[in-house]
Amino acid sequence: MVASPVLGVKGDGVFASMRSATLLGVQGRPLDVEVHVGVGLPGFTIVGQPDEACRESRDRVRAALLSSGLSWPNRRITVNLAPSGERKGGAGLDLAIAVGLLVAQELLAPECCSEFAFIAELGLDGSLRSVPGVVPLVGALSDREVIVAPQCVNEARAVAHRTAHAVSTLAELMACLQGESAWPEVFPQVRHRTTVNGDGQGATSNDGAGFADMADVRGQPAARHALEIAAAGAHHLLLIGPPGAGKSMLAHRLPGILPSLDADDALMVTMIHSAANLSIPASGLIRRPPFRAPHHSASMIAMVGGGTAAMRPGEISLASYGVLFLDELSEFAPTVLDALRQPLEEGNVRLSRAKSSVTLPARFLLVAATNPCPCGEGAPGVCICDDRIRQRYLRRFSGPLLDRFDLRVAVDRPHVDDLLADEHGEASESVANRVERARLIALERSGCLNSMLTADLLDEHAALTRSAMQLIRSHLEQGRLTGRGYHRIRRVARTIADLQGDMGSVDVQHIAAALALRIGVQPMLSGDQS
Amino acid sequence: MNPESSFAAALASLPLLGPNRLLKLLSSHIPSEAWAVLRGEHRAHPSVEALFSPEFLGHKLRERATDAHLQVTREKCLRLGISTTFIGDAQYPAILAVDIAPPPVLFWRGDLGALTQRRVGIIGTRAATAAGRYMSSQLAHDLTKHGIAVVSGLARGIDAWAHRGAINAALDAASTSATRSINYGRPIAVVASGLDVIYPRENAKLWAEVQTNGVVLSESPPGTPPEAFRFPLRNRILAALCEVLVVVESRAAGGSMITVEEAQKRDVMVLAVPGSPRNSSSVGTNLLLQQGCAPVVDADDVLVALGLDHRRCFPNTFDSRRRPGENDQGVLDAFSNCAITLDQLMVRTRGDLVTTAVALGRLEADGWVVNNAGWWEAVGVNRG
Repeated sequence: MVASPVLGVKGDGVFASMRSATLLGVQGRPLDVEVHVGVGLPGFTIVGQPDEACRESRDRVRAALLSSGLSWPNRRITVNLAPSGERKGGAGLDLAIAVGLLVAQELLAPECCSEFAFIAELGLDGSLRSVPGVVPLVGALSDREVIVAPQCVNEARAVAHRTAHAVSTLAELMACLQGESAWPEVFPQVRHRTTVNGDGQGATSNDGAGFADMADVRGQPAARHALEIAAAGAHHLLLIGPPGAGKSMLAHRLPGILPSLDADDALMVTMIHSAANLSIPASGLIRRPPFRAPHHSASMIAMVGGGTAAMRPGEISLASYGVLFLDELSEFAPTVLDALRQPLEEGNVRLSRAKSSVTLPARFLLVAATNPCPCGEGAPGVCICDDRIRQRYLRRFSGPLLDRFDLRVAVDRPHVDDLLADEHGEASESVANRVERARLIALERSGCLNSMLTADLLDEHAALTRSAMQLIRSHLEQGRLTGRGYHRIRRVARTIADLQGDMGSVDVQHIAAALALRIGVQPMLSGDQS
Repeated sequence: MNPESSFAAALASLPLLGPNRLLKLLSSHIPSEAWAVLRGEHRAHPSVEALFSPEFLGHKLRERATDAHLQVTREKCLRLGISTTFIGDAQYPAILAVDIAPPPVLFWRGDLGALTQRRVGIIGTRAATAAGRYMSSQLAHDLTKHGIAVVSGLARGIDAWAHRGAINAALDAASTSATRSINYGRPIAVVASGLDVIYPRENAKLWAEVQTNGVVLSESPPGTPPEAFRFPLRNRILAALCEVLVVVESRAAGGSMITVEEAQKRDVMVLAVPGSPRNSSSVGTNLLLQQGCAPVVDADDVLVALGLDHRRCFPNTFDSRRRPGENDQGVLDAFSNCAITLDQLMVRTRGDLVTTAVALGRLEADGWVVNNAGWWEAVGVNRG
């Protein structure tokens, strides 16, 4: 591989090599854009498995060069994207091709470019445009100074180990590269991106501000508590209740009580969002946990990722280190829901396609909301559904998926008096403080959040008192708790104890509370209680 | 199996020969003679001659009334331990013989002698609330202890719980040898399908227990599937067997209301258990009360209706639950007649999650409250 842009005259051709990168999943792959201008019929070929957008760069680059007052060589031009065995996608290689052509035409000295890499799409007027995934792309080019479009300078600076420069036109770039003018100061701005990829669907802003406050929730103390436990221990949460009970309202308040991301997580979240072409805050890094709420019509690919040559991250990756909220869980396609099981277990998703396979991060906190039955009411005596119909309704969720929810809480419409009352609930800020404290306790004790405690670690870090053991035993014996539920109850009980500041063993009241927040989802049938 | 019964079973198993036609036939002929009539080997009684003329049904029935059919039916009944009786037979229950629409042929398993007891029907909706199930089971339990046979339909919900309560009481009585002499009621079930077709499946164990302790009756021959039209027919037999009919919970329309109509046709006293007006499962029973049915709040009301003096019966010891402690009682008091969620309970008791959960855990373990998919109900709690 050629390490630096080289201008060489070999035989009848002139040859230049530029550094750039393409996107696969949420990682950038560095590559060399080799440009050869030689004798032959005038023409332009790109080799090295370019996709359609990449192939079209020929016309963009040509127009951009001509609009900038630069010449287009009427010779045989071959562009090779090395290593040529991998598929390349996107328009981000335009700038590297254009600069390569300038070097090959000896309009630009090769030494000027040896320290730089180029990531931008070209407009026909010679302007630089933003491309998706600047954060991972720049991250992959850590040995170079990177030139990007002004719109994505905030993303580039989030990871630039060396300097990232932004220029607005090709002509300006030439001047800067030749040292005729200084690199322009560019102030980061938030890009307003289009939502053609369906990104607007249910997604909320990641700017950090504007999360709904818990103080708006009236009454519903058990549901509030469940949210707090979910946040503190990263326990997946299922809210079951009639329409209008405030399930969505509660879920939207979960990100507000999660602690801000640490530097590593923030970088990862920023990379994922950048790779998916979602807006990045002006400060460069996404500091607040993301909140993703895809509509229930979401396809398998929208949910887990893939689809394009670049393997665009799906909703579960976008929700990484944050919250994935699935409203109307029963309306999601069962295959889509079951595809969540492996990521839920392993914290990542491995996508394999014929030409490539990637592993995308998918460590998210799952919050789901559903009606208890087709009529939506659920409460015995009010619900008009037959037992069998209720059972069939809830059977849509596979047992293994339901089992992943450590917390399963019934939510009913708040009482009128609570709705009209003046008193506000506790604000998100003070809940968040408790959550952060409980998280610190858990991390200091076991090095991981409570939901990730393995069975052997549980005995070490969440030992049960004698009476707690008795309570669990009676539930197991009466068949009200399964073996799978047993460990989950202990994890939740550990979190409840942490939130209360009880460092020692898990006691009976913690287990009781955990049991009360994990309701049996299958409705009790008249026949199964003998 | 006596030969006449075999003929009766074979007749009942013939398609095209429904209860009405069979009843007409068996009113004029004994089963063996009726069989011969179908086969054209005996002259039909003038009253049924037209019905079995070759032009109408005669030739179709003649094709089917074969010796093989007779043999197969007989063997099936013997193999499955199903006994058969028919109207006019010595074993045929007297209470049905005088009925306005008696089943012409009756199949049974268990002891038909159970029908000689005092009989109270307990019926209700299949979609019962926990409170309804508890009420049904307790009524049946108490009545059984007073020596009264509980009649029901082995359906889901109220029916199943009535049988369950009756069986528990019977088992209790049988296990305490000191009170062996006390006569407890034996359960009676009337089902719509054949006696070998258990429906609903989940009641299989209960079905077997009723057979062992009492009797399961059906008008349908073995192998009959639980077709929808058979349930109203079954309900008429159920109503005919009752001296008093108690409706525990019912929607405004449904199987229970059909049974009530059948009971009213026969001048059987109908009683209803009052329920919360907000409970859709009590709309039917509350309607009955509005129409003048007497209310039932415990077994005493039923016993009064039966005209039974029970002063010297042993006291009711059914509520063997541990009394809740002071804090738990507070939580229990916060329950209303409707099912509520943990949220509402916490708001009412102004308690935090942990204390409420601990109290609920104890109350649930002791059987005071029941959790159904997140909704809590208090059971068997009397509120003044």
